[in-house]
Amino acid sequence: MSKRAVDAVFQALFLLSDVRFLLRETTPGHDLDEAQKARAATTLDKVKRQVAILEEELIR
Amino acid sequence: MKCAVDIESRDVEEMYVNIDPIQAGGRLTVDAMKAAIAYGDGYSVCDNCRNPPRLDYIKNPPIAQFHADLAAWLNMDTARVVPGARRGFQAVASTYVEKGDPVIVTALAHYTEFMAIEGAGGIPLEIPKDGKNHITPDAAAEKIEAVIREFSKTPPLLFVDHVDYQFGNVHDVAAITKVAHQYDIPVLVNGAYTVGIMPVDGKALGADFVVGSGHKSMAAPAPSGVLATTNEHAERVFRTTQAKGDVTGRTFGIKEVEMMGCTLMGVTVVGMMASFPRVRERVQHWDTEVAHSQAVVDALLSIEGTKVLSDYPRQHTLTRIDTRESFDKVAQQHKKRGFFLASDMKKRGITGVIPGSTRVWKFNTFGLTEKQIRHVGESFIEIARENGLNIV
Repeated sequence: MSKRAVDAVFQALFLLSDVRFLLRETTPGHDLDEAQKARAATTLDKVKRQVAILEEELIR
Repeated sequence: MKCAVDIESRDVEEMYVNIDPIQAGGRLTVDAMKAAIAYGDGYSVCDNCRNPPRLDYIKNPPIAQFHADLAAWLNMDTARVVPGARRGFQAVASTYVEKGDPVIVTALAHYTEFMAIEGAGGIPLEIPKDGKNHITPDAAAEKIEAVIREFSKTPPLLFVDHVDYQFGNVHDVAAITKVAHQYDIPVLVNGAYTVGIMPVDGKALGADFVVGSGHKSMAAPAPSGVLATTNEHAERVFRTTQAKGDVTGRTFGIKEVEMMGCTLMGVTVVGMMASFPRVRERVQHWDTEVAHSQAVVDALLSIEGTKVLSDYPRQHTLTRIDTRESFDKVAQQHKKRGFFLASDMKKRGITGVIPGSTRVWKFNTFGLTEKQIRHVGESFIEIARENGLNIV
């Protein structure tokens, strides 16, 4: 049982939901302003961290 | 892209600005979307159902608290979450209406109010609208008098829409309830287009029942809604079961008959709950939403021949527009006929105008950003110019 992996899955899905809503907020052009780009970058970094946790817990 | 066998993923909200008249207020918040991910399983909210075994008593997730918060927010005494506004209408009609009873609705009432009355065996009778597409207290009084004369009994219920679905006009509900109460008629206020998008105070409206729609105006998954009432009516509409099995002798505790035992469950209630803090906050910005609506309407009115059929200036984000003398004239000559408008809008990343509509149609601007509002207004004008219409 890996609570850490389960948490990472949820966390990654939640973070991707934030990205999804950024797409909604900026539709139809998806032209992100500087603040939105910074938000996207931070969120995607966090997603990568969660994916790394999943690799660590489930694959290695 | 498919999300399951034979089911395409829906990316309408990610790819387009959606001005569909009924979808705007029900778009989920990001919190509701996250809650939907976590609570998608059928009985997900029932993990911690204890005694008494009823959904609205569950403390984790805080469904019990949510019910109390909803009632307080609407300035009513008690609330239940229900599977859509129509199920709220049904619960009230089923409680108050007997076979053959005359029940008052309005000429702008949603069809589900008729269904609820019909289901209970009642006879729906409409208060006519006036020339400005409003339901007035005088018209309500006249109708009540006429119905009492015809049926020799007082209607057990009156339904009135706070904002109607046809024009998006705000009606003088407080004055109408005052009239109805003079005849001791309880009033159900249909807040499907108000609860969750603009401030609603049930007591100030004089409502005996306030019904809202989760999926229409509370950023919640479908089907969801709320039925709120006063202490005077709560015991009756939320009565508990008296049923007893004749063979087994079983009884069913405090299950409520009109709620079919338990209230809304799973992803619908959790979605409503997750959106609630944002919903509570967003109604405070109603003036901005109305200003956005006005900006798009003004852009449309700058196209020669276009008329607004809803109240003007706008007081709501749902608007009925008449483009028979503008876009419909283009449609008559256009190779795509009436489909050109929705098609040209879609090319600009805007959806929600029913394909083929160029005569009388509706749209809703609720929840759009400033930039999206500008884009919608400019797009209508651009399409008009490209098709030879005058901008005035």
